[in-house]
Amino acid sequence: MFYKRTIPLIIVFVTGLLAFVHEFVPHPISAAFREEMTTWFRIIGGFGMFIGVYSLLHMHTMRVRRQQAGWGYSAFVFLGAAAMIVAGIVNEPHGPLGPAPEDGTMFDWFYMNVQVPCGATIFSLLAFFMASAAFRTFRARNIEAALLLVAAVIVMFGRVPLSAMISDAFPRAADVLLECPNLAAKRGILLGVSLGAISQSLRILFGIERTYMGGGGD
Amino acid sequence: MSAPDASLRKALLARRVVYLLLAAAIIVTALAKIKMKVVPSPLSRQVYDRIEKLAKDKPGAPILLSFDYDPSAKEELYPMSQALLRHAFRRNLRPIVMTFWLNGVGLCKELLERTAKEAGKESGTGFVFLAYKPGGSNLLLNMGESLKGAFDKDFYGKPTEGMPALAGVASLRDIPVVVGIAAGSSTEMWIAYGRDRFGFDLAAGCTAVIAPDLYPFLQSDQLFGLLGGLRGAADYEVLIGKPDSGVGGMPAQSVAHFLIIGLILVANAHVFLRWLKRRREA
Repeated sequence: MFYKRTIPLIIVFVTGLLAFVHEFVPHPISAAFREEMTTWFRIIGGFGMFIGVYSLLHMHTMRVRRQQAGWGYSAFVFLGAAAMIVAGIVNEPHGPLGPAPEDGTMFDWFYMNVQVPCGATIFSLLAFFMASAAFRTFRARNIEAALLLVAAVIVMFGRVPLSAMISDAFPRAADVLLECPNLAAKRGILLGVSLGAISQSLRILFGIERTYMGGGGD
Repeated sequence: MSAPDASLRKALLARRVVYLLLAAAIIVTALAKIKMKVVPSPLSRQVYDRIEKLAKDKPGAPILLSFDYDPSAKEELYPMSQALLRHAFRRNLRPIVMTFWLNGVGLCKELLERTAKEAGKESGTGFVFLAYKPGGSNLLLNMGESLKGAFDKDFYGKPTEGMPALAGVASLRDIPVVVGIAAGSSTEMWIAYGRDRFGFDLAAGCTAVIAPDLYPFLQSDQLFGLLGGLRGAADYEVLIGKPDSGVGGMPAQSVAHFLIIGLILVANAHVFLRWLKRRREA
């Protein structure tokens, strides 16, 4: 219990407190500490990438092994990952330890001709889902829904150049909606989220919130 | 056929009809090559004016452009990145380009090299490509302490120390203007860990769905301008006088918006007619 709970809690408390305190200490030692700590954070972040790749491949291995619905797509993940990894390691003409891949290499070709169009295609499909969702959900069933509907129509209409060609009032109306009610709501949400983040940070710092250690508290 | 099956079929049919209508509207508009007049919005103009002022007040000044997106947001953010780079090169500013997204490095590289070639600029003298390093906000803090410490080499492996394009730039404090083009939450990161600490002027470019989230930062002057979605790109292309894919995409986007509005009105008319019918029957 001491090694699994108490020591990690002490590390979290001391590191968190130092990270918090040095913000208010304008001293060269504090600045040097910050630089050192941020460098360490970046190194740890780099290792996080390995954990991410491992986690992704592990999840898809399980799906293929158990032949879950859509396991064929998981197999395709391995195919795509292997192709990019091999192309990146071969890295012609420089080799695995050489500089970044150049134009016209296998890695560059895969990136520009497979990843870029596939990524753009998937994102573009959003337009279809949004159109369908708008058609099905924007129904004026009550006052609140009607207000939302009218606001959505004004913003959608005001944000395209065609509306300005009809009248300047349309883009202005869209701007008013974005700059007043939208801003007020967003600011309220932002303040709420920030207060929540502060409270959560304090809970972690003082060891009240311990789920990050892999359990549900004590 | 049971009743739930019938309503499910109806819903699926309606969805397919919507998809087909939208696809047809976009394809026909794109093929028709309609031209549309774009009047730049005040928020886009503010970005343009600040960069013009920078070029006038400090000729050859550095400007940091952070292209934080990957291929999935390319269609919205690549055109505005291109317009910004063209503007910076045209005004002989020194773009320092980086990304917080690993998958965005290839896009940045292609865009930067192409626009630099158009402008006759060379890496190391006319611009710097710092590319990617992990760390997010911590990397930003490191850049605020020492830019050359955070990026000791550029993308091409050349040491940043002594690089002419980085002359007079020790940290983020020496960069007067930063523009962050983001598909995620990196604009908030640039505000909290960059602009508010190191004092540079910050503008943002983002996908259209993110734009409403950034309005509080405009009102508080933490952002001096905003390029929102493809429309923001079109605005900027008009401002620099070089229409490209942003302006080219406006007719299709306008038609798609009009179609969606039309569909919403049709759906509501249907609801209203059903309500009238029920009322008459009652």
